[in-house]
Amino acid sequence: MTRTMPQTRNAKLRGVTGALLVILSVAIAYAQPGYPQGNSDRGSSAAAQTNAPQAASPSEVHVMHVQGKVYVIVGAGGNITAQVGDDGVLLVDSGLVSMSDKVVAAVRSITDKPIRYIINTHIHPDHVGGNEAISQQGSTIAGGNVVGDIGASASQGATIVAFQSILDRMSAQDGKDKAPQKAWPTDTYDGPEKKLFFNGEAIEVIHEPFAHTDGDSIVFFRRSDVVSTGDILTLAGYPIIDVERGGTIQGIIHGLNRLVYQITIPAEKQEGGTMVIPGHGRICDQADVVYYQEMVIIIRDRIQAMIDKGMTVDEVKEAKPTRDYDPLYASKGFWNPDKFVATIYQNLKDQHEKDQHPKAQQ
Amino acid sequence: MKADRTLRKISGVGGLATFALVILLANAGVNARSQAAGGAAQTPGAPTPRALAPLDLTGYWVSVVTEDWRFRMIVPDKGDYSSVPLNPEGRKVLNSWDPAKDQSEGNQCRSYGAAGLLRIPGRLHIQWENDSTLRVDTDSGSQTRLLHFAAANPPVQAPQWQGYSLVSWEGLRPPPPRTALQDASQVNSPEGYLKAITTHMKPGYLRKNGVPYSANAVLEEYFDSFKELNGDVWLVVTSVVTDPEYLTQPFITSTHFKKLPSASGWDPTPCRANEPR
Amino acid sequence: MQHRKLIGYIGSLLLALLFLCPRVSAQTDPTGEWDNRFHEDEPERIPGPEIGDYLGIPINDAARLRADTWTATLLELPENQCRPHPSDYSWRGPALLRIWKDIDPATQDVIAYHTHISWQAPEQTIWMDGRPHPPDYAPHTWQGFSTGKWEGDILAITTDHLKEGWMRRNGIPRSDRSTVSTHIMRHGNYLTVAVVIYDPAYLTEPFIRTTDFAYNPQQRMAPYPCEAVNEGGRPEGVVPAHLPGTNSFLTEFPANFGIPPEAARGGAETMYPEYIAKMKNMKTLPRPNGKHSDR
Repeated sequence: MTRTMPQTRNAKLRGVTGALLVILSVAIAYAQPGYPQGNSDRGSSAAAQTNAPQAASPSEVHVMHVQGKVYVIVGAGGNITAQVGDDGVLLVDSGLVSMSDKVVAAVRSITDKPIRYIINTHIHPDHVGGNEAISQQGSTIAGGNVVGDIGASASQGATIVAFQSILDRMSAQDGKDKAPQKAWPTDTYDGPEKKLFFNGEAIEVIHEPFAHTDGDSIVFFRRSDVVSTGDILTLAGYPIIDVERGGTIQGIIHGLNRLVYQITIPAEKQEGGTMVIPGHGRICDQADVVYYQEMVIIIRDRIQAMIDKGMTVDEVKEAKPTRDYDPLYASKGFWNPDKFVATIYQNLKDQHEKDQHPKAQQ
Repeated sequence: MKADRTLRKISGVGGLATFALVILLANAGVNARSQAAGGAAQTPGAPTPRALAPLDLTGYWVSVVTEDWRFRMIVPDKGDYSSVPLNPEGRKVLNSWDPAKDQSEGNQCRSYGAAGLLRIPGRLHIQWENDSTLRVDTDSGSQTRLLHFAAANPPVQAPQWQGYSLVSWEGLRPPPPRTALQDASQVNSPEGYLKAITTHMKPGYLRKNGVPYSANAVLEEYFDSFKELNGDVWLVVTSVVTDPEYLTQPFITSTHFKKLPSASGWDPTPCRANEPR
Repeated sequence: MQHRKLIGYIGSLLLALLFLCPRVSAQTDPTGEWDNRFHEDEPERIPGPEIGDYLGIPINDAARLRADTWTATLLELPENQCRPHPSDYSWRGPALLRIWKDIDPATQDVIAYHTHISWQAPEQTIWMDGRPHPPDYAPHTWQGFSTGKWEGDILAITTDHLKEGWMRRNGIPRSDRSTVSTHIMRHGNYLTVAVVIYDPAYLTEPFIRTTDFAYNPQQRMAPYPCEAVNEGGRPEGVVPAHLPGTNSFLTEFPANFGIPPEAARGGAETMYPEYIAKMKNMKTLPRPNGKHSDR
């Protein structure tokens, strides 16, 4: 037995040594040349697609935190801004009517607080379509003699804030913008701006006259330092000038100038700082607004120069004054470059007429 | 006791011997790799430089001139040496450039020397001349450069326009294992690039308008290749020309070529003193 | 006693193995202080490119018109004064470079590389941890969003979500629709950076440039604060620009250097050697002051 135990232990050690020798052999083999020859296919385009940007699916709604208390909900028509806090939820615009449930679900993914306000930037259906359905799922804080007069229903539904002309159009019996009563703004303003204080921050609702339409509002969240522009700024295309509803190129430019010179302040190196939620397109900042503003002004200036030369609208369209910006902004839909150019042409001619004969306009 | 001490001595010696044996065996592997990578005479049985190549430089390549356009696609004005760190002596030589004289005296290939050749727009054809020599032909100037992995033929010959190039695979390593951050589909590539040192060049021109380099210039080059997002394969040659006779500092350029599927477009030209290629 | 001997052998083997184990992550490290070398395109990169020089860039007509109507006066506007170079251009500019890395302390994997350029001090982050790029509606920045991976010993980077920038500092735009591919190659004390721009708006094919740096551990960079000032004289809402067809400076560059004006308009074909033969049939403009080339 005594002779067996050392022999058994030595056998184990020999076994371990043998295993280590095997490992050593492998290590030496690894140090030898002979690994696969490289080829010019170094790099793989397939791998480059692994981290490809995610495009929003057309039927899906997505939420992104912007800054401070402000979020954006995309994919429901126009961009929707959501300011969220202990007081509740304030929305800027309500998207398409068909997306209302998804919009509410998106809000619920952020908070379970009630929706207290909807502010409409303008009257188009991709921005006001959800007014009725979404506001009815919210509530207003009401009290005093309002409740005494109206009853409990005074609290029912979120407050819908908009410029006066939106209510006028929605409530007009024979108007093309006629809307159900529960979609109408319940709190309107007709001066230069309306001020709110909600969720611990001041909110300016600023009227931009005769821009995209005659009822545009820009909404500025002062502490979060975020501004919602409505369709005065749409990074996805040329600004639509809704002439039938009072829109003008001059108003668009005025609104963009206001964004650049009065509202937005960048942080460092022309980036960040005031964040901007356009009516359509990505979240941006002042530098992006500047590029867009410059584009609109440059195109306006070109068309004005052509008018000054006496060119007709068809001649101006043929000259294609937008062709260097078309790869970025041209749409094949109804608001194509020709339509944009023709509208600017007419706006400028009309403005010239007004300037020449101011009394005749009264 | 004496037997135990003897045994201890033997085990101590044996342990050291084992350690030494292992290191020797490993170094034998390393030496075989470095000899094959270049820089020493090839030992029989060692993998060849061609077998060791971590990237494929062979094929047809075309210059894509997106930089220094007016110094490459046309013959620049006499005396224009913008971007080149030329010293006063170099400027003197530059200002005496006479292309007609170069042509008549048989020096029309002066601007096609190794230190300036790849900057001339054109096509390259790279192939293995043999397992330890890469051959680079250019259609511009119809020049040939031989890049030698082994110093079997040391440079004892007279200086030539293309000089003598000794190359090696540098930074050779097998593909590293995938890290935890890489997804399962990622295939890691082996590492390494080609380094070339060229000496024994006849005096030549860095540019077609006579920006000079001397017979003492040393050309250091690095050849890399990668595949782009759209499938294009690129060759990038980083060149460093050191020439204290004419330059105030090493002159560094990087020239890029796109891989072509065939020799289509190959357009050989003779050396011409006053033409861009 | 016998097993002590064997333990001695085993210990020697283990010690030897330690000498043999290769590094797990062996890619070339690009970090450090890098001094730019302007041995290519120095006139364009330092003092600035000539108006109307579109040579060697595969631009389309839309880009040409943007550049033709651009004026440097635009950079005087307060809202444009502090723009840094975007990450695809910043390697080219008159600037020094620093690269450093973040390492996960637990795994020792590189999480990200960062670059800092001395002019306007932009910083780019290159994520190495496989994170996805942001969605379309996320903000764009001057430096964009970048992810990287090793291809052999070359660091390959893909960048998108860039703000609009420039391919040359004379008005040739690089749109915000672009994707940029960058390859960083280190050879000892030299760094070569290859940048390829894919711009569906303004390019007809990808546009590549390669830039070189030399290692300089003694390099010191100064801070670069920027505060916009109103230099006066221009009302708000006035955007300096040339009207189409009115920029009279466009022919100065080709005339000064004896380049056919048609070539100066750029485009993909101007990048390839075949164009040299085509230029032989093109007219050039008279040199200013009657100066002729000695070539």
